[in-house]
Amino acid sequence: MKIFIYYSSLTRPLQKYFLAITLLFGTSQLIAQDTININPPVVKKKSFVKNTFDGNYIIDNQTAVIPIKGTFEFDIQHRFGTIENGWKDLGGLFANANMLLGFSYVPFNDLQIGFSATNDRMQTAGTIKYALVKQTKNNSMPLSVTFFGNTVMDTRAKNSSLPIINVQDRFSYFSQLIFARKINDKISLQVAPSFSYFNNVEAYYDIHNVIQSKTNNGHVAISVAGRYKLTDGMSLIANYDQPLTQHPMNNPNPNLALGLDMKTSGHDFQIFLGNYGYILPQNNNVYNRNNFSKSQFLIGFNISRLWNF
Amino acid sequence: MKKVSLMPLIIVFITTVSFTLFQAKPWNAPADKAKVVNTVKSSAASIAEGKTLWSTHCASCHGKAGLGDGSKSAQLATTPPDFTKAAFQSQTDGSLFYKTSEGRGDMPSFKKKIADQEDIWNLVNYMRSLKK
Repeated sequence: MKIFIYYSSLTRPLQKYFLAITLLFGTSQLIAQDTININPPVVKKKSFVKNTFDGNYIIDNQTAVIPIKGTFEFDIQHRFGTIENGWKDLGGLFANANMLLGFSYVPFNDLQIGFSATNDRMQTAGTIKYALVKQTKNNSMPLSVTFFGNTVMDTRAKNSSLPIINVQDRFSYFSQLIFARKINDKISLQVAPSFSYFNNVEAYYDIHNVIQSKTNNGHVAISVAGRYKLTDGMSLIANYDQPLTQHPMNNPNPNLALGLDMKTSGHDFQIFLGNYGYILPQNNNVYNRNNFSKSQFLIGFNISRLWNF
Repeated sequence: MKKVSLMPLIIVFITTVSFTLFQAKPWNAPADKAKVVNTVKSSAASIAEGKTLWSTHCASCHGKAGLGDGSKSAQLATTPPDFTKAAFQSQTDGSLFYKTSEGRGDMPSFKKKIADQEDIWNLVNYMRSLKK
């Protein structure tokens, strides 16, 4: 009989890291607030490129875009089953699905905070996103660079079948730097290296009765995503994610996805076909078993509703 | 004696009263706002920026070409005006900026959604390009 053991690692250094980022970014934005709302209308010289992407998401990744200050966003995300069973489950539409409901708000320019919950392992996530630098129109800054991070908690009730012993076993983290460029009015691209960290990973006893982990706690990956605007309201979107860390076993598969993005004044809607079946990024990056070479694609959609306060 | 039907008279009365009481109130920008000068010179780039914003925020009610025939226009209490006509185009840039920014009734305020004032001027420049 196989024996599965899960073990924990220290979480404190990561918690300090996220706290420091939150304080640092929050403080700098408080200082910068006094430069808006000039009345009567006086136009300042516009310097930053706008609408690099149509919203916060590009399929399974965050974009470099942060909505304007005061934007409240409600997200509904859905990933159906894989299409490989054909008519049997209507291309995965009747199969088990993963869903996420999320909220986010932009309290200061260039800073977004959020909260979300998904039915996958009853996980909840706190998120932070901050625009470190933004592409300028005169090309003095050719790229936008945005940080995205989350802290995820598995909230399932403790029982003997779950690998949860201590509270810290429930947590995982994701950090990503997103480098984006709006090449022209139609084409935007971004490259985003990421680091996922699970406090708790699967392990086993080897023949010498020593605990061996099946995967590392940390995982590095890189994502490439792009948009091509078909019309002012509709874009073709694509996303590729490549795992970089080699684990002792259970290495994840890359993700290839293609879809459509439709934008209105208050909505952003994406529908796509891809390999990632989870919604939270660290789960996709570390646990994806769908393989595009075996046509294990699934249908997914992201809906965002935006209000401005 | 021949009976006179009152129904036509009632219809005429109701119609007259309706036009008198329920006609759309004129929407004039305050004089100081109407005099505000457009700070973004009209150019191909400005009109292109305005067109993108128009497609995202305005076209669903005002129509792609500003004829007031957007997909949502039939659901509105106020019929969107035809932006190609002289009646609309005779307004000052400042007036168009004010109305776009503040809104009234069915017309939402865009001062928060389009936070950069330069973008609203780009929209005004695009509205000018709709003139026929």
